[in-house]
Amino acid sequence: MRVISPFLAVVACLMLGTGGLLLMSYGAQAQQAAPAPSGSVPADHVFSHQLSQSDIARMLPATDMGANSTRPHNPHSAAMGDSTATPFDAASIPANPLAPNADPVGAKTCVACHAQENVQASHSLHVASFRAGAANSGPQAACESCHGPGSEHAKDPTAPGKIIAFTHDAKTSPQVQAGVCLSCHAGGARQHWIGSIHQTRDLSCTDCHNPMAKLSPEGVLAKSSINEVCSTCHQDIRAKFNRRSHMPLPEGQMACTDCHNPHGSITKPLLKTDTVNETCYTCHAEKRGPFLFEHAPVRANCLNCHDVHGSNQQTLLVAPIPMLCQQCHTMTRHPNDLQTRAGMGTGPSPDERLMGRGCLSCHTNIHGSNNPSGPKFHK
Amino acid sequence: MLALKGNRTTPTVAALGLLIGLSGMQVASASDTSGTMRVGDMQYGNGLDLRGWTPMLHPADPDGMSYLHPGMLRTPTGALYPYPPMIDAGKPLGSGDWTYSGLLEFGYLHVGGDRNAEYFRQYDDWKSSAVLGLFALDFNNRQTGSYVDFRGSRVSGNDQFYRLRGGKYGSYRIEGFYRDMPHTVSTSAYPIWNGIGGTDLTLPASLLAGASTPAQVAAVSAAAPRRSIGLVRTRAGLSYEGTLYRNWIGSAAITNEKRSGTRLWGGSMFFNYPFPDNGGVLETVRPIDFRTTDINLSVRNVGKLWHFLATYNGSFFRNHKNHLDFESPFALWNVVGTPQVANIENGQFSLEPNNDYHNIRLDLSRELKGNGQFTIAGAWGTMRQNDALLPPTTCTGTGGIFIAPPVDYTFQCANWNTTGALSQRSANARIDTGLLDARVTFRPTPKFGWHANLRWYREDNKTRYLAYNPLTGQYGYISENGSQGSIVPGETGIFDPTNPLYQSYMVSVRNVPFGYTDTILELATDWQIGRKTSLGVTYTYDHNQPKYRERKRVDDQRIKFDWVSRDVIGATVRLSWEYAKRDGDKYNYDPYAQFFSESLPGYVEPATGVAVHTVADMRKYDLSDRTESKARAIVTYPWGESATLSATFYGNRDNYDALIGRQDTRTTGSTLQWDWQPTPATTMNVYLGAETSRMGISNVADNEALVGADIGQTDPNLGGPLYPYANQWWEFDRERNRNAGLSFSHDFSRVRFDLSYNYTGSLGRVGYDYASLAALAYKGADAAAAVGDGFPDNKYRTNTLDLGMSFSLTRDVGVRVFGRYQTGAFSDWHYAGFNDTLSYDHRIYTDKGGQLHYSASLVGVMLNLKL
Repeated sequence: MRVISPFLAVVACLMLGTGGLLLMSYGAQAQQAAPAPSGSVPADHVFSHQLSQSDIARMLPATDMGANSTRPHNPHSAAMGDSTATPFDAASIPANPLAPNADPVGAKTCVACHAQENVQASHSLHVASFRAGAANSGPQAACESCHGPGSEHAKDPTAPGKIIAFTHDAKTSPQVQAGVCLSCHAGGARQHWIGSIHQTRDLSCTDCHNPMAKLSPEGVLAKSSINEVCSTCHQDIRAKFNRRSHMPLPEGQMACTDCHNPHGSITKPLLKTDTVNETCYTCHAEKRGPFLFEHAPVRANCLNCHDVHGSNQQTLLVAPIPMLCQQCHTMTRHPNDLQTRAGMGTGPSPDERLMGRGCLSCHTNIHGSNNPSGPKFHK
Repeated sequence: MLALKGNRTTPTVAALGLLIGLSGMQVASASDTSGTMRVGDMQYGNGLDLRGWTPMLHPADPDGMSYLHPGMLRTPTGALYPYPPMIDAGKPLGSGDWTYSGLLEFGYLHVGGDRNAEYFRQYDDWKSSAVLGLFALDFNNRQTGSYVDFRGSRVSGNDQFYRLRGGKYGSYRIEGFYRDMPHTVSTSAYPIWNGIGGTDLTLPASLLAGASTPAQVAAVSAAAPRRSIGLVRTRAGLSYEGTLYRNWIGSAAITNEKRSGTRLWGGSMFFNYPFPDNGGVLETVRPIDFRTTDINLSVRNVGKLWHFLATYNGSFFRNHKNHLDFESPFALWNVVGTPQVANIENGQFSLEPNNDYHNIRLDLSRELKGNGQFTIAGAWGTMRQNDALLPPTTCTGTGGIFIAPPVDYTFQCANWNTTGALSQRSANARIDTGLLDARVTFRPTPKFGWHANLRWYREDNKTRYLAYNPLTGQYGYISENGSQGSIVPGETGIFDPTNPLYQSYMVSVRNVPFGYTDTILELATDWQIGRKTSLGVTYTYDHNQPKYRERKRVDDQRIKFDWVSRDVIGATVRLSWEYAKRDGDKYNYDPYAQFFSESLPGYVEPATGVAVHTVADMRKYDLSDRTESKARAIVTYPWGESATLSATFYGNRDNYDALIGRQDTRTTGSTLQWDWQPTPATTMNVYLGAETSRMGISNVADNEALVGADIGQTDPNLGGPLYPYANQWWEFDRERNRNAGLSFSHDFSRVRFDLSYNYTGSLGRVGYDYASLAALAYKGADAAAAVGDGFPDNKYRTNTLDLGMSFSLTRDVGVRVFGRYQTGAFSDWHYAGFNDTLSYDHRIYTDKGGQLHYSASLVGVMLNLKL
C-alpha cells in the first residue's frame, strides 16, 4: 500500500517548509520590525488615555460589596496603583480580536468589581511574580496582561468577548487563549506546543492551569495535583494504573509528566525524549546497554512487551508468559508446544516453561546479555 | 563517583562546577521553568499523601472565588475548578519584606492485619512507627519576588522525600532534593541459597552442589525462612535554572540515583520437563546495586521570531555487581546412558554492564507570516559500554559426554573458563542515534490551519562480536553453563570445522546488531466549523527500515479524523477515529543465517539437512501486515452549577495478517465520572470504569521426531512434515477490568470529614484450542484428560476504604485521625500449587506469588501545626 514514496514525501515536506520560510519571511520581518509583538495590541491602535481612573470608577457599579474596604491590611490589596496596566517586564497587553478598540483601564479598575478574584489570584505564583516584576520595572502589571484591555468590558461587563476570558463560557477561542500565555511562556518546554495533540484538540492552557487561584502549591494547576489534572480527560489511563503491576503513580511517587510533556514534543505521545526507549532508559538505565547480544523487539520498542500504564500480568507485560513469547517464537522443540493447565504446578505434568517466571526462568537476561555464552539470554 | 572501570568520562565534577558557576551569575529579568523537559522528579508524594501537599490545601475558602457569581467557573472544556483553599497571607519575618508560612504534620501510624501483603505495600513502606506527614516552610519576599520553600515527608527510612527550592520569580531557581522510593517485588520468597543480595549464591550445608536429590532440596525449601524481595531507589539532585544574559536562559541539573536491593532471577541447568530427574531450573535472587548519574544542561533563547533551544542529556549507569554466581543442587546425567564425566554444578550470569549515554539536541523555531511556525530539531546520541567480558563458563574439569572413541563430546573447562577463550576481552558495544524533525505549521485564517511534519530517526548498532575461541580454534560458546552439552551429546554450543563431531552444529557465532531507520511524514489540517467546533484530518506515513530483521521495509499509513465541539448541549465532546494499514516488503522468515555457524567456512550440512529456524508462516507482530482502527470519545458535561459529568468511550481493533503469530487484539472500554462541589465545604466524586480486551495468537508445534533425523526438518511450511496442520493451536487472552470509586468530603467548620472507597477488579482468562492432541506439550492420557479449554481465571481484586477526620483545636493547631482498610484477592496460575511446595523434581522456585487473600489496615493520628 505504498501510496506515496518516501522520496516524494521528503521533497514535499521540504518544499512546504522551505517555501513557507521564503514566502513568509518578508512578513515575519515586518512583524519583527513592528513595535507591537504578534498577538498584542495592533500597532495602529493607540490606547485612549482620556479617561482617568476616577472617570472609570464613576462608570463602574460598586459590585465588590465593600470587600476591598474590609481588607485594608491585606498585603495583596495594597499593591494597587492608579496607573494603567503595564507589562511584567516582557509581558505585553494582548489584543482582543473580539474587542479590537478596547483600552487598558488598570488593575485597580478591575479589582473594583473583581475583589475576591484579586485576593485569590494574589495567592498564586503567577500574580506574585507579576507583582515582583512590577516592583522592578514600574507600575503594577496585572489583569490586562492576560485578559487584554478592559475598557469595553468595563462598559458592558456581561457581554461575552469584551474581555479575553479563559473559562468554559468564554467567547475567546482556545487559540487566542493559548496565544496570550505563549506571549510570555513560548519556547523551552513549550517549543513544540504548536501542532501537538493537545493544541490540535483545542485544549487551552487553562484546561490544565489556573493562574487565578492557588489550587495547587506548585505549577499553577487547575486541580490539586498533576495526576488529577491529567485524569480529568484521561480517566481510562489513570484506571490502568490500578492494575496488578504498575508504576508508582497511584502511590504518589510519580506523575504523568515524569514521562510526558503535555506542552508538546516531537513524539506523538508527547514523550520528553526522542523515543519510547529513551524515556524508559531514564529510570531503567540498566536496560540501555548496548548488550553484546540484543533481543530485537526489546531494542526496537519497550512497548512491544510492556504496557507501561498498567497490566494484569507480572512486570507490566502485555500478555501472560509463555503466550507473550510464543507470539514470535516457533522454532523447533521446546518453544512451540501448546501449554495447558496440565503443565501447571497442580497439573499432572508440571512444566518450567509455564510455571513461575516461565520462559524467563532460563532466558533470564531477556533484555540483552553481555555474556559470551548469552546469545539465547541464558547467561 | 563515576570513575569506575577506568574507561569513561567523569562528568560529575565538571557538571557540578558548571552548576555552581551558573548559580553565581548575575541574573536578568525573565525566565521560565523547564521541568516538563526533563524525565522524572515532577512529583513528590507517598501513600500517606498522594499529592504530597494535601494539608496545605485545606480548608477551602468559604468566600469562594468571586462575589460576582456563585460557585466556581469551569475550564474551557467544562470541568469545574476546585474551590481555592484558604491561604494564610504569611507572617512577617523581621522588619523587611519577607514573610513566611509553615506547616508541620506529624504523628503515629499503626499497621495491622496482613501487613506484609505484597500488593498492600508494593510501593509503600508501611510500618508501625512515628511518621512525618508533611513539613512545609515557605519564605516569600513579595517586593523582590524572592522565595525559599521546603517540603518533606517521611513514612520510613525507605519512603521519604525532602526538597528545598529557592529563587526569584522571573529570574532564577535553585533546587535540591533527596528521596527514597520503595518497591516491593515479593513478600513471600523462600530462597534456598545463602548470600542473597550478593553475587555468590551458595547452597546451605545440607545440600551438595550437583549432588542433591529433589527430596533434599524440597526439604530445605520447606524450611527456608520467608524473605521480602525488593529494592529502594534513592535519588538526590541539584538543579539551577535562570537567565544568563538578556533572553538567554540556561539550566543545569545533576541527579544521582542509587538502587539497592534484590530481584527474582533465573538459573538454567537445562530442561527438566523432557528428562525427569535431570536438568535444573532454578529461580534465584539477584542483587540490585546500581548507581545512575544524570546530567541535563540546556540553554535557550526566546525571541519574538526565533526560539532556540539546545540541550545536553548525559546518563552514566554503573552496576556495582556485574555478575551472579550460583550453585545448582541437582545432579545431571546424560541421555545416552554412558558414565557421566561432567559434574556441572555452578552457573553464572552476566548482569547489566555499565553504560554511558550522551545526547545533544538543537531545536529551532521561527515564527512565520500567516500565523505560521517552522520548527526543526536535530539530535545526535550515543550509548556505549565497554565492560570486561566474563569467560564463557565457570566450570572446572571436564564437561560434555564421552560415548566411545571417537565419539567424544567432552570439552575441557580450562579451555573455556578464562577470558583467553574470547575473541575480544571487552564488549566494545555502541549504538549511535540520529534525529531530524522538521515541522511547518500555518493558520492563515482563524478557521483553517495545517501542518506538515517530517521526522527521521536512525539507530545504528555498531557492536560486533565473533564467538571464536583462540585457545581451541572453535566457534560458539558453552550453553547453559555446560549443562546442555553434558546432558545431550554434542549440544555444547560449539562449532568446529575441523572436528567431524562439531562441523554440522548450528550455533550462534555472531551478535545481531539490530537497528533501524524510521522516517515519518505527517500532513494535517483542521477547520473551525462555527465558533466552538473543529474538524481535523491527519495523514501519517511511517516508513521503517529495520536492520537484520524479517523485513527490510515496513510501511504504516494511517488517517485520523478528529472532531471537537465545545457546545453539544453544553458539553465538550472530543471524538477521534483512526484507521491504519501496515505492510512492507517480502517477509523473510529467516534472515539470521549469517549469524550462525552455517555461514562459516567448513560448515558441513548434515545428511538430513539443517532444521529450519522457524515456520515460514510466522509473522512477528511488530513487522507483520496489520489493519488497525481506533476510536475514542471524551465527553465533559457541565451538570448544573456545581457538578460535572464526564465519560470516556474507547476501543481499538487490530487484525494481523498472520497464520502463525499474533492474529488480533481488541479493546473496548468506558469510564463515567461525576464530580460535585455544591459549596466550598463539600465535594463528592463517583467513578466507574470498565474495560474488556482480547488478544489472539496461533502457533504450531513441530514434529519433533523429524528434528535431526529426517530431511523433513528442512520444510518450513505450515502444513509440511515438520509443521503439520494437525499441530497448529490457538490461544486467547481475555481480560475484564472493573473499577469503581467514591470520595466524599465535608467541612463542618471545626471538623472536616473525608471518606473514599476504591475498587479494582481484574479477571483474566487464557483459553486455547488445538487442531489435535499433537499440538500439546503433553500428549499422555493423564495430561490430555487435564487439558480442558483454558487456564483457571487469574484474579486481582482490591477494596480500599479510607476514612479521616480533621479537627481544628485552635487557629493554628489541628488533629487528624484517619484509617484505611484494604482487602485483596489474587490468583495467578503461574503460581498454582506454590503455596504447597516450591519444589518440583529438578525445579526449585523462590517466589510463591502474591497472597491469595489479604486484609490490612492503617490507623494514624497526626498533629497539625501551622508555623
